Amino acid sequence: MLNLPKIPLESWVTDAVNWLTQHLAALFNFMQSVGKIVMDNMTAGLIAIPMPLMIAGITLIAILTTSKKFGFPLFTLVGLSLIANQDLWNDLMNTVTLVIMASVISLIIGIPLGILTAKSAKTAAVVKPILDFMQTMPGFVYLIPAVAFFGIGVVPGVFASIIFALPPMVRMTDLGIRQVPTALVEAADSFGSTTWQKLIKLELPSARNTILAGANQTIMLALSMVVTASMIGAPGLGRGVLSAVQHADVGSGFVNGLGLVILAIIIDRFTQKLNTTPGQKTVAKPWRRWAILAAVVVMIGGGVVNSLTSNKTTGQKVNIGYVEWDSEVASTNVVAESLRQHGYDVTITPLDNAVLWQSVANGQVDASVSAWLPVTHKTLYDKYKKDLKVLGPNLRGAKTGFVVPDYMKANSIEDLTNQAGKTITGIEPGAGAMASAQKTIDSYSNLKGWNLLGSSSGAMTTALDKAYKNKQDIIVTGWSPHWMFSKYHLKYLEDPKGTMGKGENINTFVRKGLKSDNPKLEKIFDRFHWTKSDMESVMLEIQNGKSPKQAAADWIKANKKSVDSWYK
Amino acid sequence: MNKVEIKHLTKIFGKRPKAALKMVKQNKSKNEIVEKTGSTVGVYDINMTIEDGEIFVIMGLSGSGKSTLIRLLNRLIEPTDGQLFIDGQEITKFNKKQMLDIRRQKMSMVFQNFALFPHRTILENTEYGLEIQGVDKAERRKRAEKALDNAQLLSFKDQYPSQLSGGMQQRVGLARALTNDPDILLMDEAFSALDPLVRGEMQDELLELQANVQKTIIFITHDLNEALHLGDHIAIMKDGQLQQVGTGEEILTNPANEYVKTFIGGVDRSKVLTAESIMIPALTTNIDVDGPTVALRKMADEEVSGLVAVSRSRQLLGYLSSDEAVSARHSKTPLSQVVVDMPTVQLDTLVVDIMPIIYDAQTPVAVVDDKHHVRGVIIRGAVLEALAGAEGDDEHA
Repeated sequence: MLNLPKIPLESWVTDAVNWLTQHLAALFNFMQSVGKIVMDNMTAGLIAIPMPLMIAGITLIAILTTSKKFGFPLFTLVGLSLIANQDLWNDLMNTVTLVIMASVISLIIGIPLGILTAKSAKTAAVVKPILDFMQTMPGFVYLIPAVAFFGIGVVPGVFASIIFALPPMVRMTDLGIRQVPTALVEAADSFGSTTWQKLIKLELPSARNTILAGANQTIMLALSMVVTASMIGAPGLGRGVLSAVQHADVGSGFVNGLGLVILAIIIDRFTQKLNTTPGQKTVAKPWRRWAILAAVVVMIGGGVVNSLTSNKTTGQKVNIGYVEWDSEVASTNVVAESLRQHGYDVTITPLDNAVLWQSVANGQVDASVSAWLPVTHKTLYDKYKKDLKVLGPNLRGAKTGFVVPDYMKANSIEDLTNQAGKTITGIEPGAGAMASAQKTIDSYSNLKGWNLLGSSSGAMTTALDKAYKNKQDIIVTGWSPHWMFSKYHLKYLEDPKGTMGKGENINTFVRKGLKSDNPKLEKIFDRFHWTKSDMESVMLEIQNGKSPKQAAADWIKANKKSVDSWYK
Repeated sequence: MNKVEIKHLTKIFGKRPKAALKMVKQNKSKNEIVEKTGSTVGVYDINMTIEDGEIFVIMGLSGSGKSTLIRLLNRLIEPTDGQLFIDGQEITKFNKKQMLDIRRQKMSMVFQNFALFPHRTILENTEYGLEIQGVDKAERRKRAEKALDNAQLLSFKDQYPSQLSGGMQQRVGLARALTNDPDILLMDEAFSALDPLVRGEMQDELLELQANVQKTIIFITHDLNEALHLGDHIAIMKDGQLQQVGTGEEILTNPANEYVKTFIGGVDRSKVLTAESIMIPALTTNIDVDGPTVALRKMADEEVSGLVAVSRSRQLLGYLSSDEAVSARHSKTPLSQVVVDMPTVQLDTLVVDIMPIIYDAQTPVAVVDDKHHVRGVIIRGAVLEALAGAEGDDEHA
């Protein structure tokens, strides 16, 4: 076994996915565009329903479906109001759309598949191991092919959620149908039921409760994938949670998480209400049903009225991608805000760095202002340079390197021996600085045996803060512009071999076809530039508690002249 | 006229039916076959004919293959071998579609545990057979309601099965089977899950129904009394093989082999049976406590015309007849003065020795133990039955 050469499993899988991506491109694109249209409209429809009307409507339905108890309706009312109060309503609606789509498609695929596995031992033998595989494979892994097939946005999010949430649906359907007592199946047969009649009249009604329990689990799993899917641009509450993790922002993480919890509980209670046993059916009073219907109709009506009367922004759509680093949050929000003021309809999508480059390369994202070149993002640049266009620097004099508190004695990377437990505290594993840091560890002989610890940019600053307060040794992969330099006394370690990059620039890059589609827009992106101190001032504002949007707007107001120069 | 004809019908469960078949032919036991081949013999080489309009009872202990046999008749289980004719048509050759029609038109089944669909109301259960045939709603409702009306269950039509007692549920099961108006009713231990009282009622109802509708009923049971009560013909099975087919009388008087003999309890009984084995529980009244009114009430409840009078410590005091109790109530005499003596036998007295005693007795014979405590009573019928069995044996001896 041990002297066998390593099996090239990785390249096989990669080749297979590439082959699929190439040969089924038309199908994937079709699904992507149709899915996107459907879900965008669904979200728009949900958002169009006036918030108070919807909260009232859902609470009313909760009252009508719960007899004599007021705990659940009250929870619904308070929970939804809290979400609205925290300005998470649009995120919530996005999440609801994603969960509904993922769940509905899981039901549509899962129930027939469950019926098949229950009816045929052969199908079960094939399907069950696949289900085991699907359920135990970490959800993150699904994001990779999802991006390869569908790019970024809500469609791959749904795709990944479906793969993750489908198994319980199939399993529980299978179980429910197998659990129908033999005597009942024999009875149905003895009266001459066809297979189809038996399924419709006996098996599915008997298995109903088990199937509903499966649906409940599926919905919960789809909800749990929302956070993961937000890494590839699925909008919603997950984005807030993810961003909070990357910035180590406890408060915002809790609030977004709470939103998900409230949603989960409401969905869970409503699906459990569908579980009734025959003979114990509380005869639903007709007026209750009518009242529920009326509530739904009023909500939809409110949505229609609202969408007709509201003045839609009919500006050109621009999609700017960025990574959740503090520097990029600042620059992206400034660009987006200034474009909005010039009448563009701008979406900004937080993504993992590698996914961001891939998305610009395949044209799903119009532009990004966060390419650190020539060193930090060299690997990604080399990989995708044929398929995108780098317009040049928007900020000069950026720098990445090993950063230490100034109370540490070491001044150069070569001075490192065994400080900080031989650990470099890094950021997201996919980030360019991490590739450089690994290269650095490999090329300095004194760093033999050192570890590079991946986490997130937020976790890195938290660790730095902790070590700094306790006067402990710490070495981080730092970069400037960054607010940490104004908050702490830090220094870069000298890098004689230059593996961490000499001086760098942050560059703007756009998709290949932007110039022909919208030359004016490309020109604006080309002209966008500002200075390190500009950026750090915005970063500090955000760090001190301003929302990124607000901080960007304030900076634009204060620097009208330079902003106007981008639009000449 | 033969309604059903069965020729060499065989069913082997498991993966190696050929090997198992070979072993059956060598008269190997079921257990041995399972150990060797991993296959189970369900039924083997069944040959019989069932006449139109009779109640044909198949009996046997559990595991004798009787339930398999009944499911082979409507092909819920596919036979391994053999032929099955209904009305002269060989239905073992029928395809799926034809089989559906046979099940819809000719045969209906009633199950031991009722097998009512829990998610459907009584009416929806009853009309199920017609519903899947695509009969229109009004028509099938009408017919289902008629069947329920016959079973005196019409007022329950909108209830769910879980809200009904066992006896009612089985009447629904029967009504459901009859709604289709089939020629053949297959009843798989239909009354075994009911309590004895309801069971007796249902048996009588079935006989009454049979007198009215003249269906061919194939009835499975493991209870000899039920078989004797219902069956025009009885087939006894053991280990998937048929032991004997005949009328109840033939089987009782002419058991074909040792197994049937033991099954019907047909050993030389008068010489081994003791009082203990033929006695029935005594219906007693404790006359130290009970007065005539209580005693009469007990008699009414138990549907008897006399009680065994005992003391507080269950010592036998005598026999109290209903007439005596009535007169005691009028004349206000205590019961102890109106009881009459009963003949007594010991627990281990042989039936042979009881016969002369019971022949002269005006009352049942009390069975007492050595402390003179009442353990049971013997009534005339029990002895006669034992006698009949003994005489049958004598003829064969």
